[in-house]
Amino acid sequence: MTVRVRPAEWQLALPLALAYAAFFLVPLLLLIGVSAFDDEKITTLGFAQWRRFLADPFTWKVIVDTVKLGGLTVAATALVGYPVALVYLGAGPRWQRVILFVVILPLLTSVVVRTFAWIVILGREGVINQALLWLGLAPAPLRLLQTEHGLVMALTQIEMPLLLLPLLSVMSRMDPSLRDASAALGASKWRTLVRVTLPLSLPGLVAGCMLVFASSTTAFISQFVIGGNRLVYLPLLIWQQSLVVYNWPLASVAALTLLVSVGLGVTAIAAVGRRSRAYAV
Amino acid sequence: MTHARFTRRQFLAAAAATAGALAIGRPARAKGSVTAAMYPGTWEEAFRAHVVPALKSAHDVDLEMTPLFAVDQIAKAQAARGAPPFDAFVLDPGPRVTGIDRGLFEKFEARRLKNVGRLPAGMVDDWGVTVAAQVVGIGYNPKKLPRPKSWTDLLKDPWVSRLGMTGFQTTYGTVSIIEIAKQFGGSETNVEPFFVEIKKVLSKVAAIGAPASMPALFQQGQCDITYTNTQTVATLRGRDVDIEFVKPESGAVAFFTTMHVAKGSREGENAYKYFDTVISAPVQSALMQPPNNFIPVNRDVKLAAALPMASLDEMAKFVRHDWSKINPLRAAWIERFNKEVAK
Repeated sequence: MTVRVRPAEWQLALPLALAYAAFFLVPLLLLIGVSAFDDEKITTLGFAQWRRFLADPFTWKVIVDTVKLGGLTVAATALVGYPVALVYLGAGPRWQRVILFVVILPLLTSVVVRTFAWIVILGREGVINQALLWLGLAPAPLRLLQTEHGLVMALTQIEMPLLLLPLLSVMSRMDPSLRDASAALGASKWRTLVRVTLPLSLPGLVAGCMLVFASSTTAFISQFVIGGNRLVYLPLLIWQQSLVVYNWPLASVAALTLLVSVGLGVTAIAAVGRRSRAYAV
Repeated sequence: MTHARFTRRQFLAAAAATAGALAIGRPARAKGSVTAAMYPGTWEEAFRAHVVPALKSAHDVDLEMTPLFAVDQIAKAQAARGAPPFDAFVLDPGPRVTGIDRGLFEKFEARRLKNVGRLPAGMVDDWGVTVAAQVVGIGYNPKKLPRPKSWTDLLKDPWVSRLGMTGFQTTYGTVSIIEIAKQFGGSETNVEPFFVEIKKVLSKVAAIGAPASMPALFQQGQCDITYTNTQTVATLRGRDVDIEFVKPESGAVAFFTTMHVAKGSREGENAYKYFDTVISAPVQSALMQPPNNFIPVNRDVKLAAALPMASLDEMAKFVRHDWSKINPLRAAWIERFNKEVAK
């Protein structure tokens, strides 16, 4: 059956469409345009910046690191977040509200504040190191700041709401009798989780993972403040080229590279989601 | 209960009329206003506390501030192409040279400043006026480390394993690295010796951070020595952080913060009044006091004891740099720094 969209409906979508055209499409075209200039003053057309950027092995290392950071963050948030979602699923209405509030809580503070708080947590004299030293688990403070695993830890907390909100919304619409039926038919709790709950919650999990991937690969503040200059990702290159040395063509090239990398990553996650759904059913 | 019913047309007409009335009837101002780009943080707070009231009482001009770092001001002004989003710039030497190169400033007329005679020589030129100085050297934690003497100490034990570094993104970072390079045979235009030396000790360096995070990293004990300016040291000391400023043997570095009239600004008259207020002795004196800790440029200001010089003329002996030579090389240095320090 096809739904006939009456004119009144597409007219309602018009303001958003116009806003997208003005504030996304036009800047994107400008970005592509600027990247097609050879010189910093944007006078000579050419693809010298593209050639220079893509011919540099360092660029490829940065692209791989950026995508890897997104992958690790997605894995960590999914691993930590999914059990929280299961607790939510099993909780009564009052506890569900509490969990939802705790999940949303980080969104109520600015990302800058959350990121600087992580300096205090991960620092040499920070909470984690003090606990490790006190417990005798480490002879000297560990280096957590400006390392990839420290950054992934921080991003896991910072991006967690993005994973959980779509996941929880899908889970709350799941029919509880399906799990009961699975149990009544003799399936163990694990089997019910793997064969019933997981496949049914997959759309929410995939949506969450896509959001986390896109957000963590582009999280300039967190990457730069926690990763410092030791960890170089594409957003840092864009910032340096656009705002420190004013080479806008090269900054555009880096920005488009980031756009394509993130786009490919998100597409890959969506494809994995479709595949596994087909497998599960 | 009944509701007054409006048709859509009536509602739109009323909304348009209200908006129009608001646009025409903007609050009257005696002598108008000036919009100035302003460094966020210490500068913005200090200017709000001291410059805004001084400008209002001396000239009846309202100061509106747009918080922007120097590099962002250049980017914004350049993107605006002749319709500047603010009337006055505040810039470090590197972005200043870029601004001159790209024609973003009006020609500066020093005679329009009453206080210009109170500035040391060389503080005004065809493009702008100096409003504050910055002195760069070494900041270290005296409870954790012995006192360093020279720039080269930063790359030696025990200091190097507690060293916090930033790259070429900031003015103070760039001049500090140039000074380190000079000690190993480099120059203002050759920082190669720095890269050679840093490579030998890179694994020991405690932190290579974002410029904005350096005070937090120092405060959290992630690093105990870093290159920095007197203002940051004074601000951290004000928060009871153990930090002391050291002038390296080869001399501390001085650079100046300047203000400029944006090309195409319609508030040039008020911009000059604003500059004149900023460099006036009472405002300069207030800006020097904690928690602002500016280095003044007006001779009539009695310098605070904590400053690394007894008089403004002493700054002539500090190390200075030519940013028209540094700017063209900086992009390559930044790229090189990324590659050398990234894991």
